[in-house]
Amino acid sequence: MGKSSKDKRDLYYRKAKELGYRARSAFKLLQLNEEFHFLDDLERVVDLCAAPGSWSQVLSRKMFDEAEGDVQGKKIVAVDLQPMSPIDNVTTFQADITHPKTLSRILELFGNEKADFVCSDGAPDVTGLHDLDEYVQQQLIMSALQLTTCVLKPHGNFVAKIFRGRDIDMLYSQLGYLFKSVVCAKPRSSRGTSLEAFIVCLDYQPPANWSPKLDNNVSVEEFFHDCFVGINKLSLGDDSQLPEWHESVRTVAPFISCGGLDSFDSDATYHLDEGDMAKIEKSLDPVQSPTNPPYKRALELKRSGKLSSCV
Amino acid sequence: MKDTFHVGPSLAVKFVAGDQLLCAVGPFLHIYNVTKNRLIHKVRIFKRNKVHGIAVSEDKLAIYGGKSVSLVSWEQLTGANDVSNLEHLSPEWIVSTEFDVTGQNVFLLTCYNMVLVVDFASGDVLQRNSLPNERSILYSGSIKVLDRDHVLVNAGTVMGGIIVWDLHTGTQLWNLLGHEGSIFYVTVSDNGKYVASCSDDRSIRLWDTFTGKELSLAWGHTARIWNLKFFDNDTKLISVSEDCTCRIWSVEHTAEGIELIAADTFEVHLTKNVWGVDVNEEKMIAATSGNDGRIKLIDLKQTTRMADEMEQFDIKAIEIHCNVRFAAGEIIKGFHCFEFGIVALTSGGHVLRYTFADKSWVLLFTDQRFLSYSITNGVTVASHNVVIFSNNNCDLLLVKFTDRGKIVDQGKALKVTGLAKTTNVMCTTGDKAEVIYVTVESPNPRDNFVILAIDSSTLEVIDRFNYGKPDSFVSSCVTVLDHYILVGSRFSTVAIFDLFNCAKNGVYRIDDLNIGDTTTSIEHVETKQCRHLFSVTNRDGYYSFLAIKFDNGISHEVIHSNKTVKGFLERAFYNDEGDYVTYGFKSRLFYMYNESKCYEIMHHMCGGAHRQWGLYPVGVKEYILVYIKASQLHVLRIHKPRVPEFLTAGLHGREIRDLSICPRARATNENEYLFVTGSEDTSIKLNTVDKLTGEVTTFWTERRHISGLQRTRFISDDLLISCSALEELFLWRVDDTFARGPYIHMLQSLPVATLNPDLRIMDFDVKFTASGSFILATVYSDSSIKMWHYDNESNNFNVCVETRYKTCCILNTRLIQFRDHLFLLITATDGHAVIYRVEQDNDDALPNGLAPVVSQRIHQSGVKAVDVKVTESTLTLYTGGDDNGVCVSVFQSVPAPAAGGFPGFELSRSEFAHSIASATVTSCQLFDKGSKLLTTSIDQIVRVWDASDDELPLKLIESQYTTIADTGCCDVVQGDSIVLIGGVGLSTWNM
Repeated sequence: MGKSSKDKRDLYYRKAKELGYRARSAFKLLQLNEEFHFLDDLERVVDLCAAPGSWSQVLSRKMFDEAEGDVQGKKIVAVDLQPMSPIDNVTTFQADITHPKTLSRILELFGNEKADFVCSDGAPDVTGLHDLDEYVQQQLIMSALQLTTCVLKPHGNFVAKIFRGRDIDMLYSQLGYLFKSVVCAKPRSSRGTSLEAFIVCLDYQPPANWSPKLDNNVSVEEFFHDCFVGINKLSLGDDSQLPEWHESVRTVAPFISCGGLDSFDSDATYHLDEGDMAKIEKSLDPVQSPTNPPYKRALELKRSGKLSSCV
Repeated sequence: MKDTFHVGPSLAVKFVAGDQLLCAVGPFLHIYNVTKNRLIHKVRIFKRNKVHGIAVSEDKLAIYGGKSVSLVSWEQLTGANDVSNLEHLSPEWIVSTEFDVTGQNVFLLTCYNMVLVVDFASGDVLQRNSLPNERSILYSGSIKVLDRDHVLVNAGTVMGGIIVWDLHTGTQLWNLLGHEGSIFYVTVSDNGKYVASCSDDRSIRLWDTFTGKELSLAWGHTARIWNLKFFDNDTKLISVSEDCTCRIWSVEHTAEGIELIAADTFEVHLTKNVWGVDVNEEKMIAATSGNDGRIKLIDLKQTTRMADEMEQFDIKAIEIHCNVRFAAGEIIKGFHCFEFGIVALTSGGHVLRYTFADKSWVLLFTDQRFLSYSITNGVTVASHNVVIFSNNNCDLLLVKFTDRGKIVDQGKALKVTGLAKTTNVMCTTGDKAEVIYVTVESPNPRDNFVILAIDSSTLEVIDRFNYGKPDSFVSSCVTVLDHYILVGSRFSTVAIFDLFNCAKNGVYRIDDLNIGDTTTSIEHVETKQCRHLFSVTNRDGYYSFLAIKFDNGISHEVIHSNKTVKGFLERAFYNDEGDYVTYGFKSRLFYMYNESKCYEIMHHMCGGAHRQWGLYPVGVKEYILVYIKASQLHVLRIHKPRVPEFLTAGLHGREIRDLSICPRARATNENEYLFVTGSEDTSIKLNTVDKLTGEVTTFWTERRHISGLQRTRFISDDLLISCSALEELFLWRVDDTFARGPYIHMLQSLPVATLNPDLRIMDFDVKFTASGSFILATVYSDSSIKMWHYDNESNNFNVCVETRYKTCCILNTRLIQFRDHLFLLITATDGHAVIYRVEQDNDDALPNGLAPVVSQRIHQSGVKAVDVKVTESTLTLYTGGDDNGVCVSVFQSVPAPAAGGFPGFELSRSEFAHSIASATVTSCQLFDKGSKLLTTSIDQIVRVWDASDDELPLKLIESQYTTIADTGCCDVVQGDSIVLIGGVGLSTWNM
């Protein structure tokens, strides 16, 4: 995360810097945990789409630094397609979460034991086409979920970033098939103007007759086909026809706002005195250097006047 | 509820035979006849999903969007208004569809790189083909049918690779590597030779299909590119982008090999995103569609668009042509263009004529009085074409030409007496064809400003008017109406000279019209009820409309003000369609821009503003641009467009954050209402909606805000307020009395607290006091609350109360008159509603404090929307929240505790309806005299609730899906059951 003057006034940004978190999103996980306590007594956890790693940092601190008992045998795996700088007590894999190999590497590290908790703070590139963006985000969650179903032990928990858009209720009903309780939670550190929220899925209870198996010749929809067969009539499996349009099953998950009212408001403008500002200017350099965007070369060309609005 | 009109992102356009264009408009297809510029048919394709693409094979269509697909015949499509009963579902998001060579089968490419082969007639899925181990999600892909046996599938991955595979053999041909980031489009040329692709890296790459080699890498777009198409026998490529431009590239064989060369750029849509593009290769017309809902057409035949008659002459060529010798260094000092041709004057006093008919230059005569300093003006009045040459020595020479350019006599020379020097001479004609008015200005401030009235047939001076020269006055443009001469000047000034009154008080002066400098044009637009409307432009990009009254002494009122997008503004006029057209220069370009519809009509690389130039209307809708560049005279004919410039104009390119309908019907049409939209794109648009058809027309796009809009609201029949971040809050007045359309002018802006304001003004409300003045309450992102008094006499805001709620962001505010007392309601991100009593020394005095009366948590998190119903003894709050709920809270008034005390409120009942929506409730609005409540939410469901009694919970009367994504605001025409819903686009509903 870089620093703009707006960031400088964002109290969560400042606090993240002060506490050594790589991103302000660390507070989102912390505030969710304040409400749901899913970070208590964890042995093995998986952080998906983890870069730059602020959630892994939170997990590391909770499971190791603040742990009272024995930390031997505790494991944290962070997976992302992007490279990530090392974090204490966290094993990082630069890998594709949909690939079976990734699953085997995780299980190998866990000594073939399953995880207590899986989380994902991932978001795809946003195009501006609302329906496509929402679909791709849901596919990302489902990709994370398919790995989760292979790696999470029964009664384990799953937390992921969602965007509350037009079809979010379809996702809720699908998740309801796998978890006893599904809640949509919005931490106070997530801006009220953003569609962002988090799905907190508690108590993993997979359908008895369904055994998930990762296969990179199978799409996400196909993977869950037998699981959601009850709610999804898109049974292409043996049907020789495209089904007619029908309304999908939709469920509204209960909404819970997390983080006390005394916590900072991410929508508010806070006033800083000159001393605060000077301190920020001086000391709070970005912990994580900004990533190289794919359009870096285009930006360079634009700056040098090589791209223009006319021929 | 029924939606009657919709404008929003259009994702695809497709030309079909017979000059027809299919346009995806949300879940609908609109079919236009392009050459006739006529909407032929509207048909609903899908129930909820947007149409993303269209494939056509003769009379068969495969239309897709999201997971939806519809296989329909042309007959089915055009024979009904709704074919959504034919909507089918694919298991996964469809990226592309194509017909096979026979047209019998349709290929559907899904985002998991699988191709379903579907029989068109039966809908049977015949095959499912995919490539082993390549099932990661795609943003883009396409299918190219080369022949029966060769079908290429091009899958654009999210990791920069493009996988090209053979559909029938199921084998991978290439993984084209080079791009960075997600591939956003990939296509294959018709001859199968090339693959063209674009990605998040903003480059376009051309690949050899047969070798897999990258042939060319092209840069140009300044943002992401969404669509590509080969055309003109695969020799050209067209691209559209998030940067709102459409670009043409030519595929050229150079010494280096095959290269993509940038050939043309068109600014086609509003911020931001152009999604769809197609080309009619027979007619060479391109169509683009964008997030703004506009369907834009582009004439790809450069020759007919303009510049086929680009002519240029250097002084040598003219010399040879005229068979005269010019002095060394002799240049063209001035010119004027008539229908027949150009009359020019050189620095050697040579008067030349160029006639378009025979393309010949002739030396007409030489006049030694016009050697170094000269000004050339011209005017066409009735059938008199008159050129007026002037020098700095008070000499004028008037020369008249016939329609064919023949000189009528030797010209009329005259000396303007009484002036030390003449630095500027201008001319104009009014309604009276027989008179030409010439203004003559001396640089000496003690000299008179002289206006000559000249008989256009005899060129004799009929009259001379002398005025004391106004202070700091440098004339720059002139026009006449009746006996009033309006002269523009530097320092953003307009002076009006009454020809019936040459005394000192005969000059009426309007200063500082805007913050620009030189007034570049004044044009009479229309006259209504003795108010004369003039359009005034300023070189620095500002334009204004002045309503001037001449009776009982001159008076004026600015009724419209705005700034152009960029560049220098030289003049503006209304075209035949009633659109306001501006022209001028930006950087090295000359441009013409349709200000009403917000699109560039043309641009031309002329070198920039600092040169001799003129734009002259000729014939019907045609113009000739004459300018001098590098000592050459250039003549460019700007043609009347061969194709319509757009089929539908569109609205905002980004989310509409708020909208507000004027409480009264239009003065000029009782079936229409004015409304404003404020958008994330930082502009405010003034529009009208027709209550019968629901159709929306935009008149003006105001660019005063520099941050995305938060709120816009009419506070009376002709006043409205808009606010946004950076502490921007503007008060506007709307004038709807003129026939051309409504006008909007910013009256005042709210003073900001600091030099570097960074607070967001989240909401405001007003309470009118007597005489058009009002109390304004503003709430901010830092939890502060301010109250202001606006005095309409002095046009000033003065702050009277400054306080703070807590530290959280306040989202809404309302001023509520309850019996004799004024209360202020706020709602905030902490889920609370707080009611304050507005403290006043007496009922008429200004507020001097806010005393909290009741604070109640009503939502879990941010209270996004609020409306209030006031009864005899209660206040009822209807609120919508980020927590997906709607809350109804009834506050009972509590009597004053003691004499001299104040009444308060306490919560008597409240009902929280949780999970009424699956996402944030963004707006709520009472209507039908408070008996119904309308809510919008991000789940795109519009709901109407019964709010007739205070019985809780609310009963849902009706709910319906809206095609507007990011549904964020609504307003109701009270009593006329018209509802406007805003978000990414706008729709009109009839209740």
